[in-house]
Amino acid sequence: MRQILAVAAGLVVLAASACSAPTPPRSAAPSVTPTGPATLPTPTGPRPVGTTVLHLTDTSRPDPWDLDADARELKVTLWYPAKRGDGPRAPYMTPKESELVLKGSRITGAPYDTLSKTHTNAVEDAAPEGKRFPLVVLSPGFTKPVSTLTSLAEDLASRGYVVAGIDHTHESYATTLSDGRVAECLACDSDTDPGFGPRVVQGRAADVSFVLDRLPSEWDGSGSIDRSRVAMVGQSIGGAGAVAAMLKDSRVRAGIDMDGTTYARMPKSGFTGPFMFLGTPQHVPGGRDTSWDRDWKRLTGWKRWLVVTGTDHQSFTDLPLLAGALGIRLAPGALAATRSAELTRTYVAAFLDQHLKSRRQTLLDGPSPRSPEVKFCPTACATL
Amino acid sequence: MTAARAAAGLALLLTAACTAPAPPRIEASTAAGMACARPQGSPGAETATTIDVVEQAYFCILGAYYSGPTLDARSLLTAGFIALTQELNRNGRDVPEATMPALTGDRKADWTAFEAVYRKITDQVPDLRDRLADVTLEAVVAALGDNHARWTRDVQRHPDHYDGDGYGLGLEANVNGRQAEADPGVALPPLFVTAVQGGAARAAGLRPGDLIEEIDGSAPFVDGQATPAITSLYPRYPQARPVKLRLLRQSTGRRWTVTLKPGLFPRDLAGLQVVRSELVDDDIALVRLAGFSPDSANRVFRAVSRLRTGRTLSGVVLDVRGNGGGSPVEATRLVSAFVHGKPTAHQCAVDGRCQTMWTDDTVELLGLPLVVLTDRGCASACEHFSSAIKDLRAGTLVGTRTAGVVSGPASPYLLGDNTLLSFPTRHHLGPDREVIDRIGVAPDHHVPLTPKDAAAGRDPALAKALTLLHK
Repeated sequence: MRQILAVAAGLVVLAASACSAPTPPRSAAPSVTPTGPATLPTPTGPRPVGTTVLHLTDTSRPDPWDLDADARELKVTLWYPAKRGDGPRAPYMTPKESELVLKGSRITGAPYDTLSKTHTNAVEDAAPEGKRFPLVVLSPGFTKPVSTLTSLAEDLASRGYVVAGIDHTHESYATTLSDGRVAECLACDSDTDPGFGPRVVQGRAADVSFVLDRLPSEWDGSGSIDRSRVAMVGQSIGGAGAVAAMLKDSRVRAGIDMDGTTYARMPKSGFTGPFMFLGTPQHVPGGRDTSWDRDWKRLTGWKRWLVVTGTDHQSFTDLPLLAGALGIRLAPGALAATRSAELTRTYVAAFLDQHLKSRRQTLLDGPSPRSPEVKFCPTACATL
Repeated sequence: MTAARAAAGLALLLTAACTAPAPPRIEASTAAGMACARPQGSPGAETATTIDVVEQAYFCILGAYYSGPTLDARSLLTAGFIALTQELNRNGRDVPEATMPALTGDRKADWTAFEAVYRKITDQVPDLRDRLADVTLEAVVAALGDNHARWTRDVQRHPDHYDGDGYGLGLEANVNGRQAEADPGVALPPLFVTAVQGGAARAAGLRPGDLIEEIDGSAPFVDGQATPAITSLYPRYPQARPVKLRLLRQSTGRRWTVTLKPGLFPRDLAGLQVVRSELVDDDIALVRLAGFSPDSANRVFRAVSRLRTGRTLSGVVLDVRGNGGGSPVEATRLVSAFVHGKPTAHQCAVDGRCQTMWTDDTVELLGLPLVVLTDRGCASACEHFSSAIKDLRAGTLVGTRTAGVVSGPASPYLLGDNTLLSFPTRHHLGPDREVIDRIGVAPDHHVPLTPKDAAAGRDPALAKALTLLHK
């Protein structure tokens, strides 16, 4: 499913499609004049943020999509609390990656290098602060580079997390590899095959385990990671990947799925890992996508099912923040981009603070007057 | 099961893809008149089917179906009325008003008469209203006798279903589900297991080649004729009644009985990929194509090109056995890698006017000898492809005759209750303008699978293909 990178509220998930993102009609992205490069909102935590990129190669398994590659190469972007906040800000993505993402998403209303000009907050290759922090693995939606979750990643790092964002090679329109080649979306060929979603999340779980294995030896700053406190957060099929990774690898202690149809088989006897579904109004109980209803019954530990009014499938990513730069108008009734980013940051951080830092969060106990958009399902969201 | 399979046997795997390319707007709107429209985006939640929805479907068919302009609409109303009265009877609720009105041949007047009686009946049995509308509409669509006409509502999936799971007994037999339901006439004894996919069949230790001698106490064949008992091998959710099989394993002479309970079972994910390829004998590209899904032709081309890199191939084997069809455009593109400048099919209106689907000559010719493996599971677009390859002498067909389920590409129409009615607006003819529907495509080399082959894991059709390509 070549989902358009566009922002269009009120779309329903197609029951038959392999991934969870709806395919908007071609005309779903009404064009307006681009506003010029976007600036990501300032991280809300107290710590300066650094970022760096690692290229890791798993020689123990062939690439699942490139039949001629007998190893799996991954690009991992780390965001982490840094010693100092001054220095050049890291690029959002390369001009070539921007071009491939926009072309793949059929976004034509802005220059192809637009995304590469996005202003970020993290300092490239800054020295890590030196303390130990919990680790959060980030996994993006199908066809998307993990940089589309930068606003969330920078915010978490500023609040005292090391974030490892994985670009799952060939599942994105653009991944720059260690030798400079840019891998494109080979998996896009087969995205309508039966069993496609389960294959993707199986592969993502393997990617995550490999990254957890290798981070300590591959990153100079890995002393900052408390390896006993690991969670995973993903958007769309990346969220489904969080379920898969938790089921496969007990190092991943908690997870959040942001609006992704789930594919990994949970045991009927139940699964206790703390888990949070964070979705759009299409993802209410009894909705067209039945996967959350199915898995909700099998989650037997701490769990939440939050639905945010005024959101669409991309609201939990940077896309609303980039809409102006791309000349895309937000759908009528959609939350302002800064608001959806704020809610995403706030609720994801609350979950992680509770489960990785043992700080109880009353925000997760129930509806809050400060966040009237956030409904607690399944009991309190029947009226959506 | 309230899922209405209006035309039995149209359980094509790739129903979503099994549609005609969207016709130009103007054609769709004028053809369908005001009765029904093509769906835009995904439909909303289904609501109860009412007599107004049946009316919409009736005029939709008359306005847009292949033979809509000429068919005798009385046959649709009569079929609907028969089903209606049978359902009343089945519920022990027959009413004196349930008498067929006289029909004149005037489509509108006949509908009015039908609807008046229908309303009188349902007013007496308001609790049956929804069910009666369902069976009436199912019967109207079934009366077309068209294997690409179907109406479905409320297709239920097992709540524990994960993408890629199968439902049923977990086995495939040499008479497949579509054949068992729609056209068992050509099935040949003996009935035997061809594949064990999982679930109850695997748990009970069934193996390919096991003969199925009885199903729930009934013989699958009587005097060489297939019986409806075979359909019990392919239950669909929510059907869950256990099925008792008497089996014979020829290799050991063992005869035994198992009771298999239908259920969900996980399937091998790698095996579900629509395109799979491998190199055989160092010089043959074997590509399995399970359906004509979007992009499938390009995927086949890439697979062949990959296997060709660094070596000289002697040929290509395209295995389309069990390929339930999909996009006619993809079928045409795949043909076009083997021949240019020819018609692959004709899509014809009832008055004999046809649109010809020509090869897409922008597709690069592979320049390799081709053998296509076919069987009764090759349906719809798969038969479009196979017939074109055969008629245009672009390759050799090996295996058994195709399904004969290729009336014409189905177009979906959205009804007022948010259900989809789909049917062909044109009928399919082969490159030589021959009818393929219900007849199928005969292979150049008839190589059926025997129980012994299945038990031994042999594939005689593939072996024949390799022999032909190595000649």
